[in-house]
Amino acid sequence: MAEGQIHNRDSFLSTVAAKLGRERRTSVAKPQWTTTPQYDVLKDATQDELVEVLKKHCEVIHTQFIETNTKELPQKIREVFKQYEVGSIVTWKDERHKEFGLEEGLLDKLSEEKMDVHIWDPVLKEKNIEAAEKADVGITFSDITLAESGTVVLFSSENKGRSVSLLPKTYIAIVPKSTLVPRMTQATAYINKQVQAGKSISSCIDFITGPSNSADIELNLIVGVHGPIKATYILVEDK
Amino acid sequence: MNGGNLEMKVSLFITCLADVFYSNVGKHTVELLEKLGCVVDFPEQQTCCGQPAFNSGYHKETKEVAKHMIRTFENSDYVVGPSGSCVAMLREYGHLFENEPEWKEKAEKLAKKSFELTQFIVEVLKIENVNASIPACATYHKSCHMTRLLGVKNAPGKLLDNVEGLDVKPLPNSHDCCGFGGTFSVKMVPISEQMVDEKVKHIEETGAEVLIGADCGCLMNIGGRINRKGKPIKVMHIAEVLNSEVK
Amino acid sequence: MAMKISDEKFFERVDKGVNNTFMRNAVVSAQERMQGKRLAAAEELGNWEEWRKLGEEIRTHTLQNLDYYLEQLSENVKKRGGHVFFASTKEEANEYITKVAKEKQAKKVVKSKSMVTEEIHLNSALEKAGCEVIETDLGEYILQLDDHDPPSHIVVPALHKNKEQIRDTFKEKRGYDKSEIPEELALFAREQLRQEFLSADLGITGCNFAVAESGSISLVTNEGNAGLVTALPKTQITVMGMERIVPTWEELDILVSLLCRSSVGQKLTSYITGLTGPKDEDDVDGPEEFHLVIVDNGRSNILGTEFQSALHCIRCAACVNVCPVYRHIGGHSYGSIYAGPIGAVLTPLLGGYEDYKELPYASSLCAACTDACPVKIPLHELLIKHRRKIVEDEKKSPFGEKLAMKGYQLAASSPSIYKAGTKSASSVMAPFTQSNSIQKGPGPMKPWTDVRDFPAPNKERFRDWYKKREKGGE
Repeated sequence: MAEGQIHNRDSFLSTVAAKLGRERRTSVAKPQWTTTPQYDVLKDATQDELVEVLKKHCEVIHTQFIETNTKELPQKIREVFKQYEVGSIVTWKDERHKEFGLEEGLLDKLSEEKMDVHIWDPVLKEKNIEAAEKADVGITFSDITLAESGTVVLFSSENKGRSVSLLPKTYIAIVPKSTLVPRMTQATAYINKQVQAGKSISSCIDFITGPSNSADIELNLIVGVHGPIKATYILVEDK
Repeated sequence: MNGGNLEMKVSLFITCLADVFYSNVGKHTVELLEKLGCVVDFPEQQTCCGQPAFNSGYHKETKEVAKHMIRTFENSDYVVGPSGSCVAMLREYGHLFENEPEWKEKAEKLAKKSFELTQFIVEVLKIENVNASIPACATYHKSCHMTRLLGVKNAPGKLLDNVEGLDVKPLPNSHDCCGFGGTFSVKMVPISEQMVDEKVKHIEETGAEVLIGADCGCLMNIGGRINRKGKPIKVMHIAEVLNSEVK
Repeated sequence: MAMKISDEKFFERVDKGVNNTFMRNAVVSAQERMQGKRLAAAEELGNWEEWRKLGEEIRTHTLQNLDYYLEQLSENVKKRGGHVFFASTKEEANEYITKVAKEKQAKKVVKSKSMVTEEIHLNSALEKAGCEVIETDLGEYILQLDDHDPPSHIVVPALHKNKEQIRDTFKEKRGYDKSEIPEELALFAREQLRQEFLSADLGITGCNFAVAESGSISLVTNEGNAGLVTALPKTQITVMGMERIVPTWEELDILVSLLCRSSVGQKLTSYITGLTGPKDEDDVDGPEEFHLVIVDNGRSNILGTEFQSALHCIRCAACVNVCPVYRHIGGHSYGSIYAGPIGAVLTPLLGGYEDYKELPYASSLCAACTDACPVKIPLHELLIKHRRKIVEDEKKSPFGEKLAMKGYQLAASSPSIYKAGTKSASSVMAPFTQSNSIQKGPGPMKPWTDVRDFPAPNKERFRDWYKKREKGGE
């Protein structure tokens, strides 16, 4: 990727340093913070306990929570499709589809049943976005799942478009049990490690908690504004 | 009833408002402290804590007043006053003298030994029952500076709980300011008026016949509005309540 | 709109606010709900004071080293192929942004909520350059349609509007023909704005927190509009106040947690979107070009002063939600897009005392704001500092008051004057006293007695009683 351009930095930052009463700093050691309460949240919780926390919190965030195993997963997904009156779906190109038996077990079958199934394909460029706009449901795996806040963390890529979880009216996250961590702290620690190791992080990392909502009209909570109006998390026992 | 086994020497910090407008608050404070085993003196050079000037931004003037008050209480063991905001102001003096280390040190000494009345009784004398008795249905207004700046959250409640015959109803929205704020009450009248009306409304909602408070500024404000509106609510300072006995 | 939202004088605005019954009821209701949610969210965590302490530490360190972190941020944005424009003034920012818009031949611009873009009056600059600018945050959308009515709250900008007014605005401006039920209004906004998202040339966002270590920016919303503004248009411009930055993703975790709990009582909002540069080469959605505009606009003048902690603000509005003054006068009375306690502190710093000299005095210093602030900005102390500045540095206090304070100093530092003055108080006030109270006070007392009774000075001061008692007479 060609590097971008920076304008006016020196004069701007010189002003900042001058106002702070010193020369510009070229290296700063981040201090050890005197307190780190974030690590105490759900400390030592087992995966099962994290599942319970997630399940309970889904009620608060207007998200349907379903628990299943890999064998029953395709069936459970179909049930949600029925519930959401789904005629067309959009999903990522994801090797986990095969791993969780969703390729032959679901997606291929749905295509045969004449349901509109669009699997994100970078070669198709804008057509992917059009498909996402038309789809009744977007369905993705969760890359990391935050139990405390009921959040699925999605890392974008050429095969994992941002629009899948954003444009359709409904959204399904398949949550492998092994992706559960206590809270945002563990996810940001992971990203921080990637950065420190010089790895390139996704251009979009989405922390998604349930469906979209707003309280802008008379402080009444309206579920479903610009993003999906309904959301379901399907927790799958894996590994 | 005397929880102290030492004769605590306490200098009374009367506060200007109590000195001039609520002298009975001072009387009750002295009598109460004496009942609780303290030896009370009154350094009569004392004037005012300096809040009116400090809160209005006149810090040069405040420093002069602060120096005088520091001198006044220099030899006191304890300084106790029936007002959370005034004592909080005494504790603020140190910040006025950032560039005068000698005065800063004196100010910090004063701060360490200054207490609001209920704070002193509960935290220093370690007494929660003063054997007071007054049959009344009341509610308590917790002053902002006492609660937030001085950090005195529980002392008044503990003491009032043990007053025989006193039924203290919780005040709705007790964390809300009454609208006094010193000069705010005359500089920002339209806003202050709304705030005190809301406070009076909440007091009425409790059905209490008595409003108890620990700060003369707040009581002057709320009491003044209650009187103007002709509401049948008696206003009492907590010193009076705690010093009461059934005759 | 710019930071300043009204040409009316302060007390005129206050009068309007106090008499706007719907707005006041809405604000009371909002405050109660939001206070409750914040407190519940804090209690649930269990050690809220530790979190606040950490938040304060992070912000203090970051601002003290702001130049370093901004440099690191800009280097990392550049490495990812994004462009960075450092704008000292709002004019520079607007010039750069309109230049980019022109270069991209952008006709339609969609925006997610950004107070700094309101502060610099960006929409107006873009419109002058021939762009159609569409606010996509539901509250901002409503206000924009309603002839650019200014926001009255940092987080819930259309708080002062009731659903009937919103329905009427939608009807008048967009041919809406359904009811005032909020779900229907929201669905209408969704449908209208979805088309705009899909056809926009340029997406403009604010920035909740930029992350220096990776050149990322983060957007915190519940509606999902920030995701759409950045996933669909070909060009993205993010505008950030220069202080809105964290060193690493570790600190982002803390500040986002504090923000969501303090502002809306949620553990996390529905969407926290972390964006790094333009899209990667093979990505399908996301912008092809990314610009980060870092705005000073007076913030650097706050650095190195006693007000530096005001720049720690994470715009959660917890202070707004507890302020009793805000409750009674509403956001518009502040005359600025920044209302409530942080507004009273920040607005004079960014906009000067000339237009905003009343704001620091519109507070009883109850300190509820300081208590509520998740990063422990001593807001009420900063208001006192403003007052000191106005009196001692700017020398803008009224002459009468200066005189009175000098008199006060004299009396309060000289026991003989004090004793003499207080001794005579009762007789001086006697002409105004009726049954122990004063109802029509003279001169400076008049504002008090217009609204409240004033107690008559006791004939016997406390010190007189004490003296008598000492002498043996009880």
